Amino acid sequence: MITIAIIDDDPDILDASGLVLMSKGYKVVTAANPEDGYKIVKENSPDLIILDVMMNEPDDGFFLAQKFRREKITTPIIMYTSISKASGLDYGVNELIPVDEFVEKPISPEQLIEKVEKLLKKKEARDARI
Amino acid sequence: MISLVPSWANRYADYWDTIQKRNLWLINLRFGAVVILTGFLISSILILNLSFDKTQFIALVVITLLILFYNLMLKRLSRFIKTIPGHFNPLHFSLLQMILDLSALMLIVYFTGSIETPLFMFFVFHMIIGSLILPGFVIFSIAGTIVFVFNILIFSEYFFLIPHHSISGLLTIPLYTNIKFILSYDVIFCCVMFISVFLANRIANQLYTIEQKLIESLDKLSEAEAEKQKYIVGIVHEIKTPLTAVHSYLDIVLKKILGPLNSNIEERLLRARTRSNEAIEMINDVLKVSKLRLLDEIAIDEVELSEVIVKIVKKQTINLRAKHIMLNFFDGRTFKKKIKGDKFLLEIAFSNLIGNAVKYVGTNGLIELDLLDNENEIEIEIADSGIGIPAADLDKIFSDFFRGSNIKDRSYEGTGLGLSIVKQIIERHKGNISVASPSKLQMPGRPGASFKIRLPYI
Repeated sequence: MITIAIIDDDPDILDASGLVLMSKGYKVVTAANPEDGYKIVKENSPDLIILDVMMNEPDDGFFLAQKFRREKITTPIIMYTSISKASGLDYGVNELIPVDEFVEKPISPEQLIEKVEKLLKKKEARDARI
Repeated sequence: MISLVPSWANRYADYWDTIQKRNLWLINLRFGAVVILTGFLISSILILNLSFDKTQFIALVVITLLILFYNLMLKRLSRFIKTIPGHFNPLHFSLLQMILDLSALMLIVYFTGSIETPLFMFFVFHMIIGSLILPGFVIFSIAGTIVFVFNILIFSEYFFLIPHHSISGLLTIPLYTNIKFILSYDVIFCCVMFISVFLANRIANQLYTIEQKLIESLDKLSEAEAEKQKYIVGIVHEIKTPLTAVHSYLDIVLKKILGPLNSNIEERLLRARTRSNEAIEMINDVLKVSKLRLLDEIAIDEVELSEVIVKIVKKQTINLRAKHIMLNFFDGRTFKKKIKGDKFLLEIAFSNLIGNAVKYVGTNGLIELDLLDNENEIEIEIADSGIGIPAADLDKIFSDFFRGSNIKDRSYEGTGLGLSIVKQIIERHKGNISVASPSKLQMPGRPGASFKIRLPYI
């Protein structure tokens, strides 16, 4: 079964995104802060990570994404973001953010499923090559 | 090397700019002085019937040529002067010019009669210009030196230590040996010299202080504006977060993931989603504007505009099909150069304009996108056969929160921020945008609107 980890500090977003993905038959694990997020990824080794920028947390989503990549966790990451934050207002535009896709909230169920399927397919192709 | 920079000149870039400009201005002025001097020589002989002896004439011609020569040299030199602290800078250049001019003037004064010539008044004029550029102590020292040399000159002539060159025909009796005349003119001259330096220096000083205060207030204002924008961004973000959650839940309920809905409830929930969509769009617009006003710098990418437009049109495909809109894109450019600009911002601008065209064109409408160019700029025209813009609204549509008087009813959603953002983005790229209605695609009852954007190539 395909497992998707959702890490977001808004419990309602966790719930809503979880509902959408579960309706498509994915197994969903969630975490409400970067620390727990790191834990669930380590424990469940999901096939995909949906990560919010979580600007209010001391170690934000970018930091967590970089941490995953440093530890050679290559799981595709979809980053939930919001307009001013994706456009260089809060961090240097040149900073490398090692995620596969940026998605601006709110995202419709259809779009979310589409992105997830796209990235899972990409991952499958990549894994097959290895 | 003494830096020569006055203590009040704090804003270096502006200050040096002013000094450089004044230096060039002085060089041009000096060419004028050469012409006037030549005119003086000719007219005093021909018109005023003054006569110069041979020494005087040769001396004056030589001095005039000398001024012309060193001015040409200064003009050449001026190109190589850089504002490197501790090195020969524009101020040293000003000082050099001043010393050359004053020496030349002193010679002219000597050869035209010293205390008897009206030309020594020109020293005062030099003092005023010098005070505007040089620090007080330098210009006071110069004034002191001139007064000193001038006194040596007139008293040496008085005591017959050096030959006197009066202009015959100007004065009927020689005055350089009249001690009362010498003293009264000399004292007044000295006073005028020092008073002008004092006053001019003081005024220059005060003007710079005022200018500085103004600039400081301006800085504070833009700082406050930035603070305000940051505050807006913060608040609007806080509002967007819960709204996003509401929106996600509405989506889930409407997708019937949680179970079936009765049509009555579904209809109201659809309305709720439309309205929350409206709020989110408004929030995104406000964030875009604030970001634009916060970031002074724009990223410099090489942007191929046709790619940007194609990408936006693709995103609109669903809407175009749903409303049976015919969209034509003509690329009639000859130079096809890339433009330098912020790709993200340009995408916002063009997706706003194209999005507007799609929104207002209505079912079975026409949209035409044209790209044209010349060597220096690219022109993009976005025309539609939509509801158009009333003539009275045309000059207002680029202002914040303005919405056309024909779209105030609820059938078209929008915040009225879109076009103001577009205009700001285009102007940030040194371009301009204009609007016309009716457009070339007008149909009966559908005047249409057309937006023309010009952006400079590189």
